[in-house]
Amino acid sequence: MDLTLVGQGLLNGILFGGVYSLMAVGLSLIFGVMRVVNFAHGDMMVWGMYVALVLAERAGIDPYLSFVICAALIFLLGALVQRTLVQQIVEAPHAMQILLMLGVALVLENVALVIFGPDPQRVQSPLTMATLWFGPFFVDMARLATFGVAILLTALLYLFLFRTMLGKMIRAAADNNYGALVIGTDVNRVYVVAFGIGAACVGAAGALVSAFLPFQPASGLSASITSFNIVIIGGMGSLIGAFFGGLIVSIAESMGAVFLSPSLKEIVSFSLLILILLFRPAGLFGRRMT
Amino acid sequence: MDDHTNARQLNRRTFLKTAGAVAGTAALGLPTLLRAQAPTVKIGVITPVTGPLAEVGQLQRLGAQMAVEAINAAGGIKSMGGAKLDLILADTETKHDVARTEMERVINAGAQLVMGGFHSGSVSAMAPVAQQRRVPYIIDISAADAPTHSVAQAVREGKQKVQYVYRIFPSSSIFGKLAVKYMTEIFRETKTSPKRVVVTYTNDAFGKPQAASFVEAAKAANPGWEIVEVIPYPEDAKDLSTEVSRMKALKPDVISPVTRPATAILLLQELAKQRVDLMGIISPGAPGLYEPRQREILRENIEYVMDSTIWHNVKSPRAQKIEEEHIKRTGGKNLGAEAGYGYEAILVMADVLERSKSADPDAIVDAIKKTNFTGGIMMSTGPIRFNEFGDNPNAATAMIQILKNKPIVVWPKDAAQAQVVFPRPKV
Repeated sequence: MDLTLVGQGLLNGILFGGVYSLMAVGLSLIFGVMRVVNFAHGDMMVWGMYVALVLAERAGIDPYLSFVICAALIFLLGALVQRTLVQQIVEAPHAMQILLMLGVALVLENVALVIFGPDPQRVQSPLTMATLWFGPFFVDMARLATFGVAILLTALLYLFLFRTMLGKMIRAAADNNYGALVIGTDVNRVYVVAFGIGAACVGAAGALVSAFLPFQPASGLSASITSFNIVIIGGMGSLIGAFFGGLIVSIAESMGAVFLSPSLKEIVSFSLLILILLFRPAGLFGRRMT
Repeated sequence: MDDHTNARQLNRRTFLKTAGAVAGTAALGLPTLLRAQAPTVKIGVITPVTGPLAEVGQLQRLGAQMAVEAINAAGGIKSMGGAKLDLILADTETKHDVARTEMERVINAGAQLVMGGFHSGSVSAMAPVAQQRRVPYIIDISAADAPTHSVAQAVREGKQKVQYVYRIFPSSSIFGKLAVKYMTEIFRETKTSPKRVVVTYTNDAFGKPQAASFVEAAKAANPGWEIVEVIPYPEDAKDLSTEVSRMKALKPDVISPVTRPATAILLLQELAKQRVDLMGIISPGAPGLYEPRQREILRENIEYVMDSTIWHNVKSPRAQKIEEEHIKRTGGKNLGAEAGYGYEAILVMADVLERSKSADPDAIVDAIKKTNFTGGIMMSTGPIRFNEFGDNPNAATAMIQILKNKPIVVWPKDAAQAQVVFPRPKV
């Protein structure tokens, strides 16, 4: 086995893992607070990508700067979806929630199809083709930048949840929403904010990968499934779990592409999922739920 | 477009609305029914208009629509009293199960001929329905051999009486053979001798047989170059960096990819990023390597890429006129496989109907078998015919190359618009 290839595969896996982490952190936050699985998550990511595309082509803003605007807009989208739709089904059985969220996903996908057309897109950025070489190894600058920003955003989210009043309210509502209500938390407002932040995370992730990952209106579903897989591996509702879950899945897929046939690489991450479900159903970092 | 109204619940208001609409239509429609004598022939066009293949499926539908407009404007099917062609449009959503139910729906709606599919998986799901319901199905686009070959085999073995499934598109085996032939001829012409070819493909019902037929043809031809490795990747790959690192480690002279548009972007940018030192990128036939948006996105990274693919006959004035209209209606897209074969399928159907003089399925099949159509607009090595498998043996590809960000036919030599550039210049 070619050691350079293994090393490069590891590096590629770690760098791409940042993207997976950010996608999963948003999904995990939404699930942790509301116990709602956001199946429109991937489509919100795709919308983040399209916003980045419009900002780059119409206003000339690089996606590595415009991700802030994308996050803000997808925050609004998420908050709107929560306020108008998800709020109605927070208490409903999971099957109903999933149907609603799949419906939202279909609407988002097809609105994108009508507005932007079916062609694959990619945002142009000076970082798109930039690489740094260290002997036989190379670092993809676009992925490095994405990785860095993803870690920064996850850290900021962590600080927000643990150091601010609103963050503490979100955690309180996640822990015990009735208890939070009793001590005077406006739980409904907390839900809107939490869903918005979850959507903003994946919106930012979309913008951050739009410079190197081609996307189409139909790209959302596979992103949703990947995020969902990561969140289960990391532990439903655990932010740290989602973060490391993202890295683990990405590295596992990359190593799968090195050692197995690349078309089998997704088997690696889904096998990991099955193993986790068998031996550690709460996920690597999840708390055992009763 | 088609609608799925049957699931809707009926209440008083919708009932009144529907009843009103029905009454209105009846009042308006009756006199026309009495007046109109010229029959229409209904043709089902089932393409992926939404989902991952929406882009190509919409073009395929457009091609059929353009052809029908042209034929109806020229007086319809003359042997049938000027019968007009009428399209029943359907959407596979790029899902094979939906493709099958849409086939059923279109036939229930009265389709007398069917075309479309695009994805070989969808075509495989649709072909048995056409066969069961005895509706002639002309596959305009889909390269995998199975759909026509399995029906032909069933007819040979006496399990089925009549073959209703035919294809005008080159089958995978034609793609493979011509790609090997063109590559070998181009290497000879440019006095180059690449040795190591790495094949990579999108692992689905199109990519796998397409790559396999290329590998098989290369083995059979023993052309002086060798396929050293075949690397499949998942159809919805989000990252190909490790795959490309693996290709690089094999030190290839040429990479032959079978892509779909999104992964073509991923692959070409990754090959450039990792500075894989190649003489050229030559596809044995795949989408994603010449379309306008792809060229706009990939710019210098798609320059000199070659694709042994479906193209319209650049020397045919009719094809040129259709391409002009296509460019106008799509905002700048060249006439490629999608609309080109969509258009050609309707031309073949019109030719068949002129000869069958009726829309009876068996009369149509008889006429299909006797087809010898010279009015085609796509690259070919002769008139459109159907062989014992129901395939068109004269369907052909052309080697196109991206030169100054435009797709140009560079091979076969007698059809070439410009001199082929190989090996590609070093950056």
